Amino acid sequence: MIRRALPLVALIAVAPLLLGAAGDTVRVTPLARDGQVYVSFSLDGGLTPDMRETIRSGLQTTYAYDIELRRGVTIWFDRTIAATAVTATVQFDNLTRRHQLSRAIDGRVDAAQVTESEEEAARWMTSFDRLPLFSTSDLEPNAEYYVRVRARTRPRSTWSLWPWGGGQWGHATFTFIP
Amino acid sequence: MATPMRAASSIRPAPPAPRPARPPRRPIRDNPRLLLVGILVLVAAFVGLLALASRTTSFSPDFLTEVVLYALSVADLTMLVGLVFVLARNIIKLVVERRRALPFARFRAKLVAVLLGLTLIPSILVLLVGSELIRNSADRWFNAPMDEILSSANRIAADYYAERQRFVLAQATRIAKSLGEVDLQSIDVPGLQDRLGPEVAEDRLKLVEVFRVTPDAGPSRVAPILDVASPSLPPGALRASAERLASHVATGAGETWALEPMAIGGELLRGAAAVRAPDGRITGVIVASDYLTGDLAARSRRMTAAYEDYRQLRVLKAPLFGVYVSFFLMVTLMILVGATWMGLYLAKRITRPVQLLAVAAREIGAGHLDHRVERETADEFGALVEAFNSMAGELATSRQDLERSAIDLERKHLEGEGRRRYIETILERIATGVISIDERGAISTVNDAAGRLLGVGSEAVGHQATEVFAREDLAPMATLLRSAGAAEESPPQEIALTRDGRDVHLAAVATALTGEGGHLEGSVLVFDDVTPLIRSQKVAAWREVARRLAHEIKNPLTPIQLSAERLQRHFGTAPPPTRALVDECTMTIVNEVESLKGLVDEFSQFARMPSPKTAPTVLQALLDETLALYDGLFSELRFERRFAADLPIVRVDPEQIRRVIINLVDNAVEAMERRGVISVETHHDPGNHVARIVVADDGPGITAGDREKLFMPYFSTKRRGSGLGLAIVRRIIAEHGGSIDVTENTPRGTRFTIELPC
Repeated sequence: MIRRALPLVALIAVAPLLLGAAGDTVRVTPLARDGQVYVSFSLDGGLTPDMRETIRSGLQTTYAYDIELRRGVTIWFDRTIAATAVTATVQFDNLTRRHQLSRAIDGRVDAAQVTESEEEAARWMTSFDRLPLFSTSDLEPNAEYYVRVRARTRPRSTWSLWPWGGGQWGHATFTFIP
Repeated sequence: MATPMRAASSIRPAPPAPRPARPPRRPIRDNPRLLLVGILVLVAAFVGLLALASRTTSFSPDFLTEVVLYALSVADLTMLVGLVFVLARNIIKLVVERRRALPFARFRAKLVAVLLGLTLIPSILVLLVGSELIRNSADRWFNAPMDEILSSANRIAADYYAERQRFVLAQATRIAKSLGEVDLQSIDVPGLQDRLGPEVAEDRLKLVEVFRVTPDAGPSRVAPILDVASPSLPPGALRASAERLASHVATGAGETWALEPMAIGGELLRGAAAVRAPDGRITGVIVASDYLTGDLAARSRRMTAAYEDYRQLRVLKAPLFGVYVSFFLMVTLMILVGATWMGLYLAKRITRPVQLLAVAAREIGAGHLDHRVERETADEFGALVEAFNSMAGELATSRQDLERSAIDLERKHLEGEGRRRYIETILERIATGVISIDERGAISTVNDAAGRLLGVGSEAVGHQATEVFAREDLAPMATLLRSAGAAEESPPQEIALTRDGRDVHLAAVATALTGEGGHLEGSVLVFDDVTPLIRSQKVAAWREVARRLAHEIKNPLTPIQLSAERLQRHFGTAPPPTRALVDECTMTIVNEVESLKGLVDEFSQFARMPSPKTAPTVLQALLDETLALYDGLFSELRFERRFAADLPIVRVDPEQIRRVIINLVDNAVEAMERRGVISVETHHDPGNHVARIVVADDGPGITAGDREKLFMPYFSTKRRGSGLGLAIVRRIIAEHGGSIDVTENTPRGTRFTIELPC
């Protein structure tokens, strides 16, 4: 029974990797400096029309980014060194035509802003520059690491019988040189 | 005794008591309590789903798309997997059962297929149609007029707000410019209040607040100087919000505005503009506010909310459709799972008792009469099971009775068989001949004695008795058989047969066997060989004759002899012719008297034969000694001795046996006229425990008629002789418990065979 279930388990385990490898749509740029790993990332194409429509509907819309600092392991699953969650939230007021923007890292509000510009709101949601997300204290010098970013939106504006998966992926490798 | 013991040992052990009923196996499907719990859970799930479905509109979009949708998907997939598992498992089971040709497998397969078909097809159709209906309904939520109305309403409200915002900003900017040349650090507050008073007096603005920019104000960098409010402004305006706005403008961010909800309703629309000195430096901030009444704000908010709800509904159309379809799918799957389970349950419920009965019937057929079927229900199937168990019980009882009867029969059969063998053994061992004849006249049994006496073997069994007794020498038996048919039991008869030239006397009786109804079932011929008895009777008679003859003749012989001798002496002095005559006559009388005396002596000896004085004797030595008496007596006569090497020591009277041998040899010598070969042989017959002595000659032989009379007293083939020699020989041999027989020798001559027990 276990032997029969193994291939299925393995398939389920590697499914996210396979899906992620289908094509990166998140541009990631890691930078290790001053004891921190700064991560810049942005969504290719910015906000999609569906997301723009969602924002315009007045729904509080969130882009949730799951960011992992990982190290590749031969013949086994890669090791996650650290992980963090960055969320960018926008709520558009159709009466005042202003966007209320906020960013949070691991649930802690990092910044907030109000703007009437949709483009600015789009940039706020999809583009992040040099976020000091990880410490380099756990990194091994001259070793190769990669940062993987998965972006998901809430709420969903689509539906499928298999709700898992989806989202946008991106990753970038770097060599830690102290 | 052996027969009953054997019968007893063959009694089978008593059949074991019926196997104790196994503890009832109660699977989940057969447990009413669990079934009830399952149904309640299903109903609760239905109710929960209905409640959830009715509240979907109140859920937040995040909860709807991130929780409800996932939960429904998980539930749907779980139920789908469960349904597939149940279906696959049962289909495989049914296929296996059909391949194994298990009873009712085909029926179960058909029943399950029909139930599944009846459930699956409508369910899938309802799912498809329902999904399409939901989709169409969702599409109908959104139409162009509604979109236009809501968009327009929202635009009106938003435009009004924008116009008021621009107005407030313009007023703030205008006031700020007017105060550009005023030193706000040292301004006369009452004067400034008088200057700003007209701004609110005409209700163009409801509130004007003036802030000065000063480093001493802390992080906010601004400090309030004064505020001028219109009397129509409701109380509750918070300075903090104005200060935040002023602080923001003080940083050089340019004009800005904010909307502040009032506690009593309505909103305060604030616009802030920087007061710049002639050198461009920001010295203060003017926050001008206009009050949007509660009704206006509420209506605007409602219009916007309606518009946003509409837009959000459109955005969330797909997830909502997914939720509804998932609900629908879940209900369908629940129906399918329930129907599938119920179909399988019903199929099993229907076929299980029949299967159990079929299995039980096979067990009963295989002889396991203690097999029982557990009664699981109280319906007609239960009654059928009860009837089956009752039948099995009766069968078991009947079989026990049958087994007991069979054991009794077997015991009786063994007893009968024992008795039959016992009687058969007796019949085989007794000297009495027994022949049984069945109702068709065929011979059923012939015992050894009968075969020996009549010269018929076991091959006669099965042949008609009349055919067997048609032989010339067995003609008296045919007569006896006929007499058996005439009467139930004929009187004993003495019949004489001639077998191999010998007369055989039989005392025979024929008995008809009649059945219970009186009909003839056959007959039995019983006969005894009485030849030796008759011979003995004859010998006894002759001995009596001899004794009387000896007594009656011997007594007058002596006076006769004495008288003759007296006459001879008296006439001794008579003239020669007379004396010669007297001498001749007296001599004749004396000689004949002597002869008569010899004859009488032999008669006496025959009559008073002494009992043999037996002693262990080596027959070869005895025969050698006896034959040695003839050595050199006859030149043309030769003796051949052929003695068996294994002849045991025989207990005989040597003198009497020697006399027997001498008698036989003398007779042979005389018959052969002292020429030829006399053979003396011995044989050992261990089977019959006899030692056999054969004296054979190659003389002229004896006719068949004389051979039978040869051992009778006073029968002689010689011119001279008393005829008692062979009678004495037979008597001696008879006294030793043996027998003597005479047959024709091959190629010629006579052959005497003596059999002595050893």
